[in-house]
Amino acid sequence: MSTPSPNTEEETESLDSEISTIRAELKALHHRRRILTNSLLTSRPLQRLAKSHPPQTTATIAGTPPKWPDLSPLLHTSARHADLNHHRIAFSTTAFPFTDPAPGPSAAKNLLGVRIDICARDGSYVKPYYILLRRVGLHTPNNEAERQQQQQQQQQQQTGARGRGNRVLCVHRHTVPAVVDLGALERVYLPRAKAADAVGEEGEGEGEQQHEKEEAAPRKPWKHQPRKQNLRGFLREVRRQLVVWHVRCDGVRYLRERLGVVRRGADSDEENGVWERDVLAEDPIQETKIAKNALGIVALGATALEAVYVRVEWEDGRVGRFKISNAGLVERAVVMGDNGRDKLMEAVMTGGNGRLETLLDRLRKSAAESKVSAAASVEDGASQTASEA
Amino acid sequence: MDFVGDPTLDRSRPETLPVTMPRSRAIRAPTTASLPSNLRIPSSTSSLVKTFGKLTRQALLDLVFQWLEDGNVQHFAPYLQADEGGKRDEDGDDDGLRPYPAERTINGVRNAYQELQFRKGGKREVIDRILEGDWRHGITLRQLAMVDMRYMDDHPSGLRWTALELARIDNSSSNESSACIPRVHASTFLSSLQQQISPLVKAHYHLARSTSLPLTVLRVFVTTSPYQIAPRQSVESLTDSSRTIYVAFPDSCPFFYTSMASPQTASKTSPAPPNSLVATDARSLQRLVRDAIPKALSLPHQRYTVKPTSLTAKSLEALLALRGPGRSNQANGAFSIFADAALEGSPLDPRPSKTVSPEEYNRQSASVHFKDTAGKENTATDAKDVTLENKRASKRSFADPKDAGTSKKRTLALQSRFGTSGTLSSAPLDRLDVRLLDALPGDAKPTEHAQQPTVSLTFAGTDVIGGIRKLAELGVIDAERMPSWMTGEEGVSVVVVREGRRVTKAGR
Repeated sequence: MSTPSPNTEEETESLDSEISTIRAELKALHHRRRILTNSLLTSRPLQRLAKSHPPQTTATIAGTPPKWPDLSPLLHTSARHADLNHHRIAFSTTAFPFTDPAPGPSAAKNLLGVRIDICARDGSYVKPYYILLRRVGLHTPNNEAERQQQQQQQQQQQTGARGRGNRVLCVHRHTVPAVVDLGALERVYLPRAKAADAVGEEGEGEGEQQHEKEEAAPRKPWKHQPRKQNLRGFLREVRRQLVVWHVRCDGVRYLRERLGVVRRGADSDEENGVWERDVLAEDPIQETKIAKNALGIVALGATALEAVYVRVEWEDGRVGRFKISNAGLVERAVVMGDNGRDKLMEAVMTGGNGRLETLLDRLRKSAAESKVSAAASVEDGASQTASEA
Repeated sequence: MDFVGDPTLDRSRPETLPVTMPRSRAIRAPTTASLPSNLRIPSSTSSLVKTFGKLTRQALLDLVFQWLEDGNVQHFAPYLQADEGGKRDEDGDDDGLRPYPAERTINGVRNAYQELQFRKGGKREVIDRILEGDWRHGITLRQLAMVDMRYMDDHPSGLRWTALELARIDNSSSNESSACIPRVHASTFLSSLQQQISPLVKAHYHLARSTSLPLTVLRVFVTTSPYQIAPRQSVESLTDSSRTIYVAFPDSCPFFYTSMASPQTASKTSPAPPNSLVATDARSLQRLVRDAIPKALSLPHQRYTVKPTSLTAKSLEALLALRGPGRSNQANGAFSIFADAALEGSPLDPRPSKTVSPEEYNRQSASVHFKDTAGKENTATDAKDVTLENKRASKRSFADPKDAGTSKKRTLALQSRFGTSGTLSSAPLDRLDVRLLDALPGDAKPTEHAQQPTVSLTFAGTDVIGGIRKLAELGVIDAERMPSWMTGEEGVSVVVVREGRRVTKAGR
């Protein structure tokens, strides 16, 4: 007797897939509900209402049942979160206190965190960059003074990052990628009194401090007059370099998107053309190529993660490279063909207003012009031959 | 500028090299040229079978198709009937005896391998076909290099890598923009590297891009003979894997990784004087290459030197996470929450950050937080309850391990100490060497510095930090009191510790 097992298997499979789709939908709805709830809680009218009736909640304890019994802590956290978000959006660089969970003296555990938020091209924010700064206790091993300093530091942390005189900071941990040379910036803006460069930037805690003390003792202190640390300048420079880097990356991505990007295997089956890996793509292993376009560009991409140099390749074998300046201009361009340099193309790339974003427009315009002039010369030639005849 | 470095143009380089096989009968003089890519190793060499046998059948077929691509086929020319021409008279018609008759055209060769692609079978038949059939006239050094590269792509943990940092020697006049990262221009770099090495040894260079990781890998094969063609008896040495050195350059960061025999000998002082050049063991050859790299990368007014970073690991992923172009170089262990941005979301997210799990921030959660969606609305208050409960729990004795509060507390401690390392991101270290410089508790005599005993610990395994996390999870290690080097915070594999903190001064 034949059992209907294939049928039931099919049924269970279809049921399983149905269940998984429903679960996914449920999850999406839950997510949406959370977003909406929290948006509602942070909304201005509700917050205003809550602020205007603060005594009501205390009054209700005595007598009548409260209107929103569970809401006030929620409202409070939401308000604080909204405040934080507003600060992050408005100032881009914000400070926060952080305590190192490692065991040790409490003075060494208090860190000053700095968060840098950068808005990308599509209006979303990239993952925030963090810099955690540690105080280098050079001045007073005295306990009393240390405690005072610590209190002072905590006050400063609450009021925000202010560059004060007698506080020596160094970068403890950070998440800034190697594209921005944080070590060099630290040496410039946050100099420490001793020859800290020789010790290295990775030095941690007491061990290094003892070393510095040992090393410092025989030296002449008046000869190494320490420069003042400039925390604001340091953060400003770090943020500027990060923003500039993101602007460059966004510019190159924008150019690629305008030309059209085809992914290998996913979008098309054809194998011909220049397949490359884009270093700036989210999935750098995926091979992509530039879609067929009127400009004849077959490849365009940043040469490295820094996105300072961009490499262009044309159908006819010409290869070009241009440099993006910190202001987003095409600073220099070199185009090489089989017969040497193509100075005309270089002039077109750096010409006009020089903006990276309008590069393709300039190329198109020059292509159209050359077509017109070619047509004109053909006409000229035709008329000449006609006149000669 | 850099255009000679374009891969499209680079492909034509080996063509310009003279064909070297006939010269072997002429006078052999020592030269400083590199070993040519088209130097053929006789296919009868037995170690070739072993080298090819490391790869899977599919990988072998992929490689063959790559060799037979239109752009590449002149560098990896297979043996065709046209090559047989003269020989046929000598050998007579023994085609029937040979297992793989020579194909007439390149398309024929391609079809033969297509057939193998569709048929199932062992890899041995593919290897036989390559060595005895289509490349019976020899495997070039370049083909060998490609086989090794392919093996490395498939097995990213096959070698032990040491991370080294490139640093500018004169840093006083730093230019305004970023970048202590040298711009590597492939062929210039290779030629200057060759200039550095060639007076000492002869080498074959192969530079390729890794297919699975953001790395550019240089494979240097070193021979000690200064002669262009190795003598016949040393043909076996051309496939000696201990003479192969790999150098991996990750994208856009001032580090590079070398595959070294032993990390301990990575001297922290200046490069050793070249008195050991007579020694032809693999280690000194490797040091030779490693010392040449910063010199080859240097430009006028822009000299580089190499600094050790005390990190050696088998997994290239770990190296990329700890000494790579990303965010996690200087934020590990407890600070990995910052590297993964698991602490808080974008400033446009209206949800308070305490109510969102790190997995959600990382957008990797598929079904993790599904189980506790029931009471999401009250998560904020729930979280408060949890902290309250934990305060209560901490007052309780540690004696009862079955208490739910204790395990919760442990989980919290674990999360604060290890952050997201081991869950969201992982950088598996296979070895961790620790030296403790602390005095033994009890005898407090800091004056007798030299007499103090030092304790050395070595952890080994597939993922040391992950293992320590597991132990802390089980309660074997007290997560709150353990020193920070146990959480992998330093991102090193060799660490010297005093009073629970890492000491970085070199030379001890």
